[in-house]
Amino acid sequence: MAAETRLTAFPVRILRLWWVYTRLNLLTLTRDLNSFVIWTISDIITNVTAVMGMLFLATRFQGIGVWSLAQTVFMLGYAALVDGVSALFFNYNVLYISRRIGRGQMDHLLIQPQPLWMSLLTEGFAPAYAVPMLVPGFIMVWWASVRLTHPVSLPAFALSLTASMIVLISYQFLWGSLAFAAPRAAEEINTSTLELMSQLKQYPLNGAGGLLRFGLVTALPVGFLAWIPCRALLGMDTSALSLWKTPCAALVLSLLATIAFRKGMQTYAKTGSQRYSGFGHRN
Amino acid sequence: MGIVQSLRQYGKSAAMKATGMIGDSPFYLFNYLLRLLRVLVLLTLWRTLLPTHGATSGLTLAQVLTYTVVGEAVEQLLACRTWLEDAFWSGDIATRFLRPMGIFAQFTAEMLGPIALGLLLFSLPLLALAPLLGVNPLPASIGAGLLFAVSLGMAVAVSLAMEYIFSGVAIALKVDPYALNSLRAAIWAALSGAFLPLALLPPSVGRVFEWLPFAATASTPLKIYIGSGPTLFMLAMQALWAALLWPLAIWLWQRNRERMVSYGG
Repeated sequence: MAAETRLTAFPVRILRLWWVYTRLNLLTLTRDLNSFVIWTISDIITNVTAVMGMLFLATRFQGIGVWSLAQTVFMLGYAALVDGVSALFFNYNVLYISRRIGRGQMDHLLIQPQPLWMSLLTEGFAPAYAVPMLVPGFIMVWWASVRLTHPVSLPAFALSLTASMIVLISYQFLWGSLAFAAPRAAEEINTSTLELMSQLKQYPLNGAGGLLRFGLVTALPVGFLAWIPCRALLGMDTSALSLWKTPCAALVLSLLATIAFRKGMQTYAKTGSQRYSGFGHRN
Repeated sequence: MGIVQSLRQYGKSAAMKATGMIGDSPFYLFNYLLRLLRVLVLLTLWRTLLPTHGATSGLTLAQVLTYTVVGEAVEQLLACRTWLEDAFWSGDIATRFLRPMGIFAQFTAEMLGPIALGLLLFSLPLLALAPLLGVNPLPASIGAGLLFAVSLGMAVAVSLAMEYIFSGVAIALKVDPYALNSLRAAIWAALSGAFLPLALLPPSVGRVFEWLPFAATASTPLKIYIGSGPTLFMLAMQALWAALLWPLAIWLWQRNRERMVSYGG
């Protein structure tokens, strides 16, 4: 009975917390007109220009290699949506978990009267910040979809997008857990890992040599953020399990990230954070 | 104060910043991995797109590969970042005024430290490794190499002026530097031709971008290096942009420097 109550209580509580964080996020963004206009415009321009180079190249060459123009735009849109959905759920340095760990801010999460996973799942919810990323992504995917010869299944698209997001957040947590062992040195490691993934995910990897391609789907699983799922969705990868490659990668990476994070938490439980001096400064 | 002593001060500032970054976080070296992977992926992209023989928009595959590798090797010089606006945001700027050095000069010196480190730890090895990647890292000719050095100097001048203009705008508008930094980095990457040669964009777009100051910071020196385009005209354009942008940067700074009281903290 108690377990059943907990099972129904968790989703309700998560929805309530998402609503609270939505209001807080909107309040932050609309605190004054100046900030609101600058944040919104700069975010839209930033996200459009991030894919502009590849869009121009695809236009000029009518696609990239074996990818047609519509397929390339679809992949760019998909990549933008992975960023957007990740920013929607894991903002405020949850995606940059090494910062929270390295700066000794895990205590802020641990003192809350709820499980740690629930805090991590809810307090980064920031729809207002994510909209400028999601809108260009949706427009590109829609523009490409009406021009594609191969129909894209919506459930398969949703599954792949979720899996790609899990790959990204898992990879961030996997590297970010290093900050438990080296709080100062690894504090900013997720800035580099996210930059690495964000920049490289928009390139089709067809022409990459065997070693480079292997590296880009294993050590740095950037291939799962757009290239592999889009090949499956667009019918370019005809193997039987093509649609399941990204979800499988998400499963493996999330397991590895969970193990690394839990191990880090065990260390944290013994040592805590030594970053703050008695008078509140971070050293 | 003698010139030698001033140079020594700025040299020490640069060295402190460079060693500080390494000492503070060895994971700083991870950024070089990012840059190496970016080069490898871009080389793959060009080999997929461009024919092995013949030119596309006046550029051969070999020229574009050289452009990509050299562009990455000198990227930090082309995209100058002093983090002046960040110092305003954090309030750190207050202590900068107490130092017996010019504000622009001390930020520039601090910028050059990590750049020198990057040139040593990343750019030189990358250029040495280039033949193994099937890329000729040498300039089109000795003359092109010499003019590249001149153009690179002017590119840094234009890039620094733009850096101080962006900082001035950030301070004037009192915006979170994070938003403006992201915006600036994205615009620069798209319009400067640092990663994608402007000649390979759709012709109408590439022609417009060539006239913008962003092109003077990256596209111009790299085109000179590979022996493409009207060199003297491009150098004149760089000089023109530097002459136009520096007075604007100085004016913006003089108008906004007093705002730090309400902005920092």
